[in-house]
Order: sequence, then structure tokens, then C-alpha cells
Amino acid sequence: MANLKMIERSIPGANRGARFATVQYAEDIKGTLYRIIVYFMKEKGLVISMLGVVMVGTLCGVWAPSLQSHAIDVIAGSRNGHLMKLISLMLAAYLIYSVSQLLQGMISARLSQRIVKRLRKELFDKIMDLPIQYLDVHSSGDIMSRMTNDIENISTTVSTSLPSMVSGIMTIIGTVVIMFWYCPKLAFLSWATVILTILAMKILSKQVRKYSRKRQQILGELNGTVEEIITGYRTVVAYNHQGISIKEFCDTADSLTKAGIRTDIFSGIMGPIMNCISNIGFVIIAVFGGYFATKGIISVGVISAFIVYAKQFSRPVNEIAQIYGQLQTAIAGAERVFAVMDEEKEDQSGDTLPEVQTAQVEFQHVKFSYQAGNPVLQDFSMTIPAEKKIAVVGLTGSGKTTVVNLLMRFYDIDSGTIRINGKDIAKISRESLRKEIAIVLQDTVLFSDTIRNNLLYGNAQATEEQLKHAVAMSRCEELIRMMPDGYDTFLTNGGANISQGQRQLLTIARAFVADPKILIFDEATSNVDTRTEKAIQDAMHQVMKNRTGIIIAHRLSTIRDADMIVVMDHGNIVENGTHQELIQRRGKYYELYQTQYAGFAT
Amino acid sequence: MWKYVKGYLHFAVLAALFMVGEVTVDLIQPKLMSRIVDEGVLGIGNHGSSDLNLILSLGLFMIIVVILGGCSGSLNNVFVHMTGQNIGNEIRKDCFGKIMMFSFSQMDQYGAGALVTRMTNDITQVQNMVSQFVRGLIRTTMLTLGSIYFMYRLNHSFGYMVLAALPFFVGCMAFCLHRAEPLLPKLQQELDDINAILQEDISGIRVIKAYVREWYEKVRFGRKNDTLVKTQLHILTIFAFMNPVMNAIMYLVVALILMVGKVQVDQGITTPGNIMAAITYTTQMLNGILMLVMLFQTISKGITSWGRIKEILHCDPDLPDGECTTGVEQGGTIEFRDVSFSFQSKGKPVLEHVNLKIHAGETVAILGATGCGKSALAGLIPRFYDVTDGTVLVDGVDVREYRQTTLRAKIAVALQKSELFGTSVGENIAWGNPEASPAEITEAAQIAQADAFIQEKQEGYDMILAERGASLSGGQKQRLSLARAVLKDAEILIMDDATSALDLKTESHFYHALKQTRPHCTKVIVAQRIASVRQADRIVILEQGRVVACDTHEELMKTCGLYRDIYHSQMGEEEE
Repeated sequence: MANLKMIERSIPGANRGARFATVQYAEDIKGTLYRIIVYFMKEKGLVISMLGVVMVGTLCGVWAPSLQSHAIDVIAGSRNGHLMKLISLMLAAYLIYSVSQLLQGMISARLSQRIVKRLRKELFDKIMDLPIQYLDVHSSGDIMSRMTNDIENISTTVSTSLPSMVSGIMTIIGTVVIMFWYCPKLAFLSWATVILTILAMKILSKQVRKYSRKRQQILGELNGTVEEIITGYRTVVAYNHQGISIKEFCDTADSLTKAGIRTDIFSGIMGPIMNCISNIGFVIIAVFGGYFATKGIISVGVISAFIVYAKQFSRPVNEIAQIYGQLQTAIAGAERVFAVMDEEKEDQSGDTLPEVQTAQVEFQHVKFSYQAGNPVLQDFSMTIPAEKKIAVVGLTGSGKTTVVNLLMRFYDIDSGTIRINGKDIAKISRESLRKEIAIVLQDTVLFSDTIRNNLLYGNAQATEEQLKHAVAMSRCEELIRMMPDGYDTFLTNGGANISQGQRQLLTIARAFVADPKILIFDEATSNVDTRTEKAIQDAMHQVMKNRTGIIIAHRLSTIRDADMIVVMDHGNIVENGTHQELIQRRGKYYELYQTQYAGFAT
Repeated sequence: MWKYVKGYLHFAVLAALFMVGEVTVDLIQPKLMSRIVDEGVLGIGNHGSSDLNLILSLGLFMIIVVILGGCSGSLNNVFVHMTGQNIGNEIRKDCFGKIMMFSFSQMDQYGAGALVTRMTNDITQVQNMVSQFVRGLIRTTMLTLGSIYFMYRLNHSFGYMVLAALPFFVGCMAFCLHRAEPLLPKLQQELDDINAILQEDISGIRVIKAYVREWYEKVRFGRKNDTLVKTQLHILTIFAFMNPVMNAIMYLVVALILMVGKVQVDQGITTPGNIMAAITYTTQMLNGILMLVMLFQTISKGITSWGRIKEILHCDPDLPDGECTTGVEQGGTIEFRDVSFSFQSKGKPVLEHVNLKIHAGETVAILGATGCGKSALAGLIPRFYDVTDGTVLVDGVDVREYRQTTLRAKIAVALQKSELFGTSVGENIAWGNPEASPAEITEAAQIAQADAFIQEKQEGYDMILAERGASLSGGQKQRLSLARAVLKDAEILIMDDATSALDLKTESHFYHALKQTRPHCTKVIVAQRIASVRQADRIVILEQGRVVACDTHEELMKTCGLYRDIYHSQMGEEEE
């Protein structure tokens, strides 16, 4: 796709068929435009030199045909003049015009790329600085599309539309003036075709929009069906459903074709119609020009000049009409990009956590809700003594993971306090706080980088010795030795080339290297089979020595050795104690335990 | 390709004819214009006195011609799209039909993503190629060659001049394309890279923030951004040259025409009107050449896409259908005879020499670690894959001898990753069994412990599942897929880790209900949890593709060390 676009960009008017593709509209066009202009203002030098180049180019472009017309008059014998001089002047003017076009192309390429680069960078930086909440609420597809589609649209539009807009408007002004100067009557007559063009465009674009919306919808349906059937192919086959699926698919495909033909005809017909209109324009010029020429109002050369001018005039009109939709889509895209940039950053202020050897964590009367009126933690209090391991268990939705979100300040609490060594974490900067805590999550996140760099992720200064020690402690030695390049093996696609269990062991090693005071395991073993779980548990055990640990678990087998087990239900602590105590109490924990281990409780 | 074009050849021919009409109009128009100037205005051939009537009648004629040209162009447009879209549609349907005959190894080989791309993107490319072929190719070649020819007809020397310029035009174009060509895949790669970073960082944002590495990620992204922008700028700069340089060449030709024209007008060989027409033809020719660039792109893309589609269309189904429609033993018997299996023909064996007979109505569980081959073993029964060696028999007949529809009608399957479809809950349960009554659907849901949560939903069984049941929890999805399997009421029921997301209480209720209501059905349970399999008639322990043991829970606890290990790792020592 990119290849074609790139070439389309460089040939004005080449993308005839693609006109009125689905257009999107911005809500606040003025405000967004203003902000885009601000970006251009940061490139003053480029903008000014481009305007200068365009000005010179347009002047030459308007002047050259008049020289050409003069030359033809000289040849026809109806005017006097030195032909060679005229031709050399004309050639010079055309050459300057070409050079200015070249410069314009280069400058606008540079300009657009600089702006796009800045936009992309600012958007990414912003995404990194946003609070987690934003990324939790917005789908990653939505954010991705802002970075890819929207910025790509802006880039295409800026690099193609900008020069054609600027030079187009100037050419229109220039040709209008000179046509008027040559012969006002003929000028008015040839502009009549412009009105025709705009009219035809308006009528057709309405039709196209109607049908293309329908086509888009059917296409979405079709793609959905294909994806669904292919990903669910096992079930399709197992239930002998192929025949029905094929029939359904063919029906959708047929209606897609119907809608597609309609859309394509209406959008494709614009080409021949515009061609026809511009041809009519030439006829008008030839006939009326010829008529005026016989009356002696104009010379033959003027007819030739008018033909060139009419072309020069109608081309930018067509082009602007053509990029109008694209322009609107780009502005709408820019608006979406700016919307992300306007989001509030995560607050980075606060004190540094004083340097200590151990950490004691306290939750006091913490209340929290993701959505107002729907509290997740009601009145949550617990104390984790330094260097102790505490396990948090409970059913899905009981608020276990929320505890982690709050301790890391991924989210801020509504009321109450969380303290580390007696210091309220709301007063500590997020950076300083997070440096003391390492987490291992259920979804193992590794980055597309070498194993070494992944392990050093939380502590780039770690020595080779520390690294080796961490790897040994977290049972990763064997697995790294098996890799083709050992520590320097590149993990493609965030570690898609190794198993889930292996990835989890590496994330544990990473946490070990980070050497935090507090360690959190959030469902770290729920996606692996029970025998791999054993290895991971051993690793966890090693890592948590001499640290404060929080283990969040769904499977109870993980947490038996915890110093204390906290059972949560609906945002409250319903029980706590050691495994033995809780089993003897025969309460909620016992119930959970029974459903998981009692087997067939018939 | 011809096979598809053949059906719509009449449209294609009509489109081509109308295109010829449109271009012809474009080509004769400058000629007519030159007659207006020469004969009408300048009165050449009429002793220098102008002729208003000629101007008007020629003008009228031109208008008619132009409108005819417009109509012809519009009709061409209609037939072009009818050709392209219909051909695309035929290919699309054939492709889908073919995919529906794929075996799983073929499906796995392509992957869902690649198949979807082929069905959509690639077919659109082929469609574009067909349209461009019928429209663009005729238009540009006719316009380019026609312009040269008409110029030659006007005046031989004009024709030679523009012909001499042609290699420069083509050379300039070829040079730019040649320079840009290697950069285009590089650009695509860099775009993919930058998107990959974003994707990775969004999904890993918690880790990035937890390790305070925002700054590092910004630098990493910034570096990629820089290279991307550099490449993009490079390409744009190359193309910035193309148009101006070609235009400059054209202006040179125009200047030459004027100079030579002057001499020839003086000699009386040519006329000023002809000079004007020659200049117009030169412009038209350049336009034709510029459009050719686009055309090459579309066609080369179309050819690549067609190659990818052809691969699918020419794929032979690698599970040839058998003839047999009835079994010879009691319904529900399964036997593995010395079965070996590997996913690729020379790949690592997944199963080795498996021998196992499952009797009708028996409940057999297959237990083992991830990757031991349990799912593969279960998948051989409905012939999702073919064995590499040995035989799998269902009701005493080799599964390869069955007609596939017959075989699969005997078997119901529920998978771990429940595959739900974008229809209502009820229709999902009745999937593959459209005649099921609402009462039967409810009964199946009750057995699968799904009825309660469905009733809690506002629309109940009519609730539409968006995005393959994204609104349901893993356990709920599994229960729907279990209900679907139960409803099928087949002789054999395979549950491939299909209860892994259920809590044990629900799971045991399900097995209990299943035993009560479907006593005669042979049940094959693939699982990881001991609790799920404890009550099976027999438990098969698989390790690295081999059957290690096969017995009841009690016996295995006594005799099988591996089973005890698994048991302890799941139950904890103190439970003994």
C-alpha cells in the first residue's frame, strides 16, 4: 500500500479513482487547523523558502504561456517580435518553473517529514507519560490507529496537498488575472466550466458517500465472517458447517459486489466527466476565441495561451476539489492525535523515598473505585511487615489486582492512606516509589531485544555477577544455555519464540536483577501447566528472600508458604491467617480450597 | 485467470471499445482545433479571409464529439467496474470454497491472518489490476502512441522530434523508479518496526512504568522514528525530481517545435494551427507516460497478489474423502493402532506408537503436561489431522475410509479456546444443528451449567455475542461450547481441555449431569487437572507422545510414579 501511495503522491492528479474515499470530519476544524499551523510556524525557514519558491514558480508558470502565445502570433505573422528571443525567454521561464517545482517538492517533503516526525514523537512520548488508566480504558487498537492511520494521513496530506494548495491558489490567482487582462469575455466563458465541475462533483460525491458507507459496512461484515470462520475452523469442521458457511459467505460477497460496483461507478465516472467538461472548455475557447479572432479582438496566439491557461486554471481547481475530502480526513485525524496529546500527564512530582534496607507496607482504610459509585475497595486495611510474604486470594473481581494498582500508584486512591515505612506514598514521586517495587505479571511482558537487555530492564547498571546470580536463582540458567546465542539471543516479537513458562522465568529473573525492596507477583503462575508452575514457584521463593513480598493468586497451590494469607471478597478482607489456621477455621478460604482441591464434590 | 475473465469477457470487450472511443475523441480534438484556427480564423486555403460559419459548424461538431467522448468514457467506467468487481467476486467465492476444504495442517500452514489478507487485500489488488488493465492500459498506450502518430500525421518532423524525446521521458521515469524501488520495502519494514514498538509498549506499559523506563522507551522510539523519516524523505526527494525533469524535457520539445515550426510555416509546409495542435499532443503524451508509472505499480502488485491467491486455488485438499458411511462395530468405539503422528512430514514426532482402545460408552481421560501430544491424540479421532503411521478406527472402520461428513456427524467436540460465532447465544449452542428446538437448547445449556448465567442476561438466549463472546468470561465461553457439543448428542464426545476455565464445583456438576443424561456416549476428556479426570473410567498418561500408563485413578496412584508426581504438585504434600 505504501508503495503505491508514495508514487501517487508524486504525480499530481494520478489518483483519479481514489477520490471521495470515505471522508471523516473533525469536530473543531478551526481549533485543529490553528494547532497544525503552529507546527508549521516552528519550521519558519522552510515555510518562507517554500512560499518564495512557489511565488517565483507561479510567476514563471503564468508568464511562459504568454510568451508562447506571442511566439505563435509571430509565426502566424499577426504580431511582430524576435522569435528566437521569445523562444529563449519562454524556455528560460519554463525551466525556472520546473526548477521551482523541483525545489518545492523537496522543501515540502522535508517540511512534511519534519512535522510528522515531531507529531509522532510527541504522541509517543505522551503515551508513555499518560497514566495507566488511559491505556486501560482505551483499546490499544484505537491508540495504534492514531499513531499509524491518522499520522500517516496527516503526512500524506501535508506532503501532497500543501504544495498543490499553495501553488494551486497562486496559479489560480495568476491565471485569472492574466486571462482577464488578455480578454475578459473569453475569460468568463472559460470559467463557466469550473462551475460545471464543482456542480458535478457535489452531486456525485453525495452519491458516492452514500454507497461507499454501505460498501464499507458490508466489507466489515465479510471480513468479520472470514476471520470468524477461519479462526473457528475446528468447530466449523467438527459440526459439518462448511456448506452453510460457504452459502452465507457467497451471499455477503454478492451484495458486496453489488455495492462495490455502484460505488466504483459513481466515483470512477468523475474522471470521464471532468475530462469531458475540460474538453468542452477547450471547444468554448476554440469557438469563441476563433470568433473573437475573426473580429480582431484577440490574436490567434491568445487562443493558444488560453488553452494553456485554462489547463493551468482547471488543474488546481480539480486538485483542490480532489484533496478536499482528504484534507478533512487529515484534520479529523489531527484532532484525534491532539486529543491524546491534551490528556493529563501522570504527575511526576513528590519526594524521594528515603534509602532503607527493608520496607514495611501499610494500607489504612483505603477506599477506591474505578468508576464513581462502584467501589472496588471499601475499607481496606492491612499491614505487611518488612521481609514478610503475604498472599492475597479471592475470586475474580474481588479486588486483588487493584491492591497492586494502588501500591504502584498506577491509580490513586479515593481516600485513606498507603504507607511505606511510615511514609505516605501519595507524597512520594512515582519514579522513586516504583524503583523500590518490582512486579511479575500474569501476561508475561518481554521486549523485542536480547535476553541480556531484557534482564537488565529494571537495572541497567547491574554487574555481570549480579546478572549471573539472578539467573541462577530464578532457574533460568538452563534455558539461557539452550538458546542459540545465550544471553545475546534476540527475542523476536516479545519472546514469541520461547514458551510461556520460560518467559515467566525470565520475567522473574528480571525482577531479581532490579533488586527491589518489594516484590509483587500478580497471578504469575496462572497460565502455565502445573509442572512448570513448580519451577516458577521455586524461583519465586528464591527471589523473595529478604524482601517484602505480595503474591496475588487464583490457584491456591502457589501460596501455601506465605507468612500470611489474606482472603478478599467484594473489596473487603474477610479472613486472614496462615494456611493451617485458615483451613482449621473452615471459613471462606476453606470453601475456596474445597472447590479447587476436593475434586468431584458430588 | 483466464477462467475468471472468460465469464465477463463481454463486459471487458465493451469496456475496451468504449475506452477506444474516449481516447479517439481526446486525440482528434486538437486536430479539429487546429482546423478552427487555420481554416476558420486565419483563413488558410481561403485566401486569408476568416470563415465564421466554419468556426461555428466545427465548434458544434466538436461539442458533439466531446459529449460522445464523455458518454463513451462513462460507459467504459461502468463496464470496467462490472468486469473487475465480478471477477473479484468469483475469485473470492472460489477461494473461500477452497479454504473450507482445507485440512488443519493446511490451515495452520497459512494461518488465519494470512488467509484473511488473501481473501480481502489480495483480491482487491487483483480487482484493481483487472480494472486498470481494461481502462488504464488501453488509455495510456493509446494516448501515448496516438499522440505521436497524430503528430507525425500533422507533420513528420514534429513526429520525429517527440519520438526522439520519448527515450528521455521513459529513461527519467525508469531512473526514479529504479532508485526508489529498493527503498520501498525498507520503508515498509521501518514502518512495521515502529508500529511493533508501539504495540509492544502499549501492552507492556505496566512493566515499563513499574521499572521506570519511560525515558528509555522514548529514546528507542525516537531512534526508529528518525530512520523512518530519513528513508521517507529520501524517497520523496527522488520522486520530487521526476515531474519537474520530465516537464522540462517537454518544454524543450515545445521550444523545438516552435523553432522548426517557424521555418516550416515560412516554407508553407505547416500552419500555426498545426503548431498549436502539436504542443497539445506533446502535453497529452506526457500525461500518458506519467499514468503509465501508476499502471505498472498496480499491475505488478496485482500479479504478486494473484500469485498468492493462485496458491490457495491450486491447493489440493490433503485429506481425500472416503466412501464409507456406516461403521462395523458398536457406535462409539475408538481404537488407536500403533499410531504415530507429527505435524510436519519431517517434523518432530508428536505421538509415537500409541495403542489404545476405547469402548463404547466409556469415559477416558488423557492427562499430561503441555506439549505431550494429548490434543493431537484427540484431534486424530475426528480426522482433524491424518496419522503419519498406524490407523485410527472409529466403530471399527479406519477414519480415512469414512466420508468426512459421516465421521464428523458421529463426533462432538468442545475445545479449550471456545470458538464462538457472532450470532445469538441460542444459535451458537445450536450451531451445526439448526433444527434443534428451544427446549433442546435449554436442556443442553442446563447440562453444561450454562443455563443459569444465560438466564441472568437481559436478552437470555437471544443475546448477540459480539466479537466472539468478548463480553463473556472464559468459563462462560467454555460452557457455551460444552452446551453445543452436548446438544449434538453424538456417539463420541471429545472435550479438549474444555473445562479448564471452570471452577471445580461447576466442572464436577457438569460431568455429573453429563453422565446422567448421556450415559451411552463415549467421552474423551483431555485435561491438565487431576481433579478433572479423577472419576474417569480410565486415565491415559501421556509423556512426550507415548502412553506411559492407562488405568483408574486408584490404580495409577499405586503404580504410576509420574501420576503421583502430578498429583502431589497439584494437591500439595500435606493432603496425603
